[in-house]
Amino acid sequence: MPTAFPLPSDLSPATVTNTASLLRIVALSLISGAAIASRLFAVINFESIIHEFDPWFNYRATRVLAAKGFYEFWNWFDPTAWYPLGRVVGGTVYPGLMATSGVIYNFLHALNLPVDIRNICVMLAPGFSALTAWATYMFTKEMKDESAGLLAAAFIGIVPGYISRSVAGSYDNEAIAIFLLMFTFYCWIKALKLGSALFGTLAAVFYFYMVAAWGGYVFITNMIPLHGLVLILMGRFTSRLYVAYSSWYVIGTLSSMQVPFVGFQPVSTSEHMAALGVFGLLQIVAFVQLVRSHVSSKQFQDLLFVVLVTAGLFGFAAFVGLTYKGAIAPWTGRFYSLWDTGYAKKHIPIIASVSEHQPTAWPSFFMDLQFLIFLFPAGVILCFHQLRDEHVFVIIYAVMASYFAGVMVRLMLTLTPVVCVASAVAFSTLLDTYVDAAEPDDAVAPADSATPPESGATAKKPKKAAPAAPSTGSALSDLVAAAVPNKKKGIYGLDTRFAIIVNAVGMLAFFVFHCTWATASAYSSPSVVLASQNADGSQHIIDDFREAYYWLRQNTPETAVVMSWWDYGYQIAGMADRPTLVDNNTWNNTHIATVGKAMSSSEEVAYPILRKHDVDYVLVIFGGLLGYSGDDINKFLWMVRIAQGVWPEEIQEPNYFTPQGEYRVDEHASPAMKNSLMYKMSYYRFSELFGGGPSTDRVRNQQVPKVGPTLDYLDEAYTTENWIVRIYQVRSEDLLGRDLKSANAFAKGKKRKRSKPVSRRRPIL
Amino acid sequence: MRWCAVCVSLLSFILAAVRADSFENTAVVRTVELGGSLVQVTTTYAVKALQANAKVYTIALGDAEKQTTSWFEAKVKGQPTALPAVDRGSANGVHLIDITLPQALALNASLNIVLDAVHTHATYPWPETASQQDEQALKYKTDLFVLSPYHTAVQRTKIRSPSPAIHSYTTPQKVDAFTLDAPVTKTGATVTYGPYNNIAPSANNKFISEHQQSVVLHFNYEYPVLEVPTLKRSAEISHWGANLNIQDEINLHNAGPALKGHFSRLEHQTQSFYKRSAPHVIPGLILHLPAGIRNTYFYDLVGNVSTSRLRTTPSVPKNAQANQYSVLELKPRYPIMGGWNYSFTLGWDSPLADSASFDKTTGKYIVQIPVLTSIPAAVVNEAEITIILPEGATDVDFATPFPAVSSSMSTHITYLDTVGRPTINLVFKELTERHAQAILVSYRVPLSAHLKKPIAVAVAFFSVFAFTLIARRIDLRIHKK
Repeated sequence: MPTAFPLPSDLSPATVTNTASLLRIVALSLISGAAIASRLFAVINFESIIHEFDPWFNYRATRVLAAKGFYEFWNWFDPTAWYPLGRVVGGTVYPGLMATSGVIYNFLHALNLPVDIRNICVMLAPGFSALTAWATYMFTKEMKDESAGLLAAAFIGIVPGYISRSVAGSYDNEAIAIFLLMFTFYCWIKALKLGSALFGTLAAVFYFYMVAAWGGYVFITNMIPLHGLVLILMGRFTSRLYVAYSSWYVIGTLSSMQVPFVGFQPVSTSEHMAALGVFGLLQIVAFVQLVRSHVSSKQFQDLLFVVLVTAGLFGFAAFVGLTYKGAIAPWTGRFYSLWDTGYAKKHIPIIASVSEHQPTAWPSFFMDLQFLIFLFPAGVILCFHQLRDEHVFVIIYAVMASYFAGVMVRLMLTLTPVVCVASAVAFSTLLDTYVDAAEPDDAVAPADSATPPESGATAKKPKKAAPAAPSTGSALSDLVAAAVPNKKKGIYGLDTRFAIIVNAVGMLAFFVFHCTWATASAYSSPSVVLASQNADGSQHIIDDFREAYYWLRQNTPETAVVMSWWDYGYQIAGMADRPTLVDNNTWNNTHIATVGKAMSSSEEVAYPILRKHDVDYVLVIFGGLLGYSGDDINKFLWMVRIAQGVWPEEIQEPNYFTPQGEYRVDEHASPAMKNSLMYKMSYYRFSELFGGGPSTDRVRNQQVPKVGPTLDYLDEAYTTENWIVRIYQVRSEDLLGRDLKSANAFAKGKKRKRSKPVSRRRPIL
Repeated sequence: MRWCAVCVSLLSFILAAVRADSFENTAVVRTVELGGSLVQVTTTYAVKALQANAKVYTIALGDAEKQTTSWFEAKVKGQPTALPAVDRGSANGVHLIDITLPQALALNASLNIVLDAVHTHATYPWPETASQQDEQALKYKTDLFVLSPYHTAVQRTKIRSPSPAIHSYTTPQKVDAFTLDAPVTKTGATVTYGPYNNIAPSANNKFISEHQQSVVLHFNYEYPVLEVPTLKRSAEISHWGANLNIQDEINLHNAGPALKGHFSRLEHQTQSFYKRSAPHVIPGLILHLPAGIRNTYFYDLVGNVSTSRLRTTPSVPKNAQANQYSVLELKPRYPIMGGWNYSFTLGWDSPLADSASFDKTTGKYIVQIPVLTSIPAAVVNEAEITIILPEGATDVDFATPFPAVSSSMSTHITYLDTVGRPTINLVFKELTERHAQAILVSYRVPLSAHLKKPIAVAVAFFSVFAFTLIARRIDLRIHKK
């Protein structure tokens, strides 16, 4: 047979197997190294620090777990969160992440390796990304072969869509959840292929781990039943499916109910009903199969019809009835917002106010996946070509995840693994076809050569010739054959091969550059620390958040209650160690609305609210001096909206706009805006900083009034170096029983004589 | 025998009584350099021997004075070596310290003895609060007379303030017995009490209750008052890494007047723009760290602090006189106003060779570990010092430059240790920059102790590989293929 390039023929199969195995191990270790290394930008550019908001809570909880042990953590009631309500932390968290860190921490300490718990938390996500790469390799290996698996592992290791949630310091549930997701799917596929109860149980165990780790476990809870259902509908019911599904569902559901936060949800909420339904259906189908083997086909068909119709009707009626009676909880708001992207904005502004719950913008698909996004459909089509049971899984996964990723930015994360798998299948098929040395034999008649010879590939990768996997090269050549009929198909010579492969490798190279760039520039900022550059190009760190939090921690009483918008709740609890009114665990909408109301109403209205909640300090984020756009004035409308949801008579969003409908903070700002506590706290004495010149808010590019707002009920307690964080102390009631405004006016009237010369002198200086 | 004992005790009693009159102070001059946390007090005793062969001179301190004295040293004027001092404890409101002179004095011979002392917590802010624009003023309270068990011919106390702005000072009453002139005079920044003549032996209750009185000086102080309530230093010696790691956990407190009202960033920025920073703000510290250090870190409970600057110098060869150090400009996250706290951790690695040596004759290593890095003009109320020796160190001995409040040994287990490292724990109180001296530690480390860790790690790895090797070759499947 002709080959495009000479192939070694004196290699024993054992040598080839061993070499391939060694190369795979080396490649996987290199991929793991790359996956970990590419996530370390944040540590190298900044420091080993916990990022953003939610990770701060996870970190704080992990510290409790490491210091006091698991049972203390389990029963932890945190009186400092949601003051004065408190929070039962042990029962309202997914403890998987903290437990993982706790186990690693205790293991290392048992070996006398005193690694700081913070470093474990920071490095957990990169460490697990290496495991994710391995799990993806195992999963893709089941789809095609080892080489596709290696490609998929390399893709998932560095793809920005996954890095965005797993850089060092991003200590969130997603950090371990994607590994668990992929490994559960791998176990499921393996269980389905082998009909193995062992792998079914393994899938259930990892499913339990996933339930304990991330709320996104519902995705698995619905993916596996959907796969089962589709297989049944396709007429692919086998005893393997029955064994795999039953062992997964029973063990997985029972164990998932052990997580306190999940509790009885698996049997009482709509999200979990599909799994139960498919489980029931499988039993019926299995029973029907049994009956079919015992009765004649005519009787069987009648029986089947009656049984199916009654069972279906009963099941549906029971579901509707139970939902109606409240035994099964209806869909939650978060779930509705998955179908109607405008739903949250109308009904639950608190969900809509989170940026990661917004629908995805088109460019972010390319940003997060780069060239994988156009290899992805090719991979899915290749799955259709073979359509074994596991390919059906990938197809369903691809469809579902694509939809969800389009609806919510954060669900891009669940799409990424399947994109990597499908793209790896496509890319590996391309490489297989063009690296393969075999050339079409001229002597063979063109019509018969549907399958080009595979001998060259067999010599290189003997496993590929396994009977289960029909030649994948044929898929592409089939397409070519369909397009150009009656022509001998195949690839001749080295030049074509060379051109295609150089092109393909070029795409890979650009992908690496893109991933590095995207990771470094977009996903590696801790957001607690901001970076800027000095005039000489050296890095200057803007550290106002920690400055303020640390000031609170060191110079206020430990029981001082701090009120801020909920975004900063976890950070205040983690860094300042002070009680907060609301935090990022947005479980109590009314409490958040109360804070929103206090922030958006005038001082006189807000003061009783603050006093009733024992608030000692109020913290606002103000970016006007530095041009930091994520500040509270820009989030202010959400506070207004959320407060309006609870007190529609008192707070109305249109009042905060000018009559022309503009959102302004300058002299034309609406009276409600100017009198709001938030506005006053943000701009208090801001214009004085400019010494009489025009005082510009650099975020909104507006000139704030020269005479700034005055505060009667609050005192400025601390303002950070760049004015990003401003802390105000709430005054206690006047000792003489006057309201603070008149008390202040009285005090000022006395002082006016003394302070006048000072104010005259100021312009001269 | 009993008679003998009685005789001896009687004799010693008489001797002690006689010794009290073995000297006369021809002049006592006390000079007080006022400061914030630290007040330097130098007392010069011009001594004349009234007996031949007088060798032990006794210094008396009032109880209050003893409480604030954190460090003292007696010298013969003009000589560099300190004289040995024995604490006799306090009785009747007087604390006595015996000083052994370098040689016995002949009859009527005279000598100048200089007592150098550092007082801590001797001043307090007055008024107790100050706003951001206000000045800072402190009050200093001290006893009028320098006590002495001997007769004093003439005595005076000079109190020097760092600035001429002295708001008030006490005019002592009822001192006609000692002086006919004005009992106190002020010239510039100095307030002088005395001279007071012909003072009887004063280290007794009678004198104290009749004549002793306190004087208070209220003065302006233009520098922040620094206080370190607690300092935890751990020094870890590593022979494998040839490294001495020193880590300080420092609580810093501004002991000046508490901030009145609230902190206004605007005022602070205006003040620093016009370079008129308020006197009671601690904007930062400049510390002198040892030469040759590396991997310096400065962080606090919420992470790294990026606002500091470090200029390192390379290691100085041993026994070289060059006085070199690395300079750390340390800036806290926020300016520390009066009454505010800031806690942080500062640490560095330095080459072990810079502070260790090997004694071939005894086979022991000797390492010197500084008690603290001096923070200028600050007092350390309590310092816990932990010295972690290499694993397997034996025959541990240590010598502190001044007595510790408590000392103990324990075991510290860290990186891959099997039996743990011997650790010396020391507690000191009231430390100042004068206490920045070295603790000497000597120990022996056998070769086997050095090899313990690599062997333990190698065995662990070997057993893991051996286990895998065997486990791979065991077939546990029920259905053999």
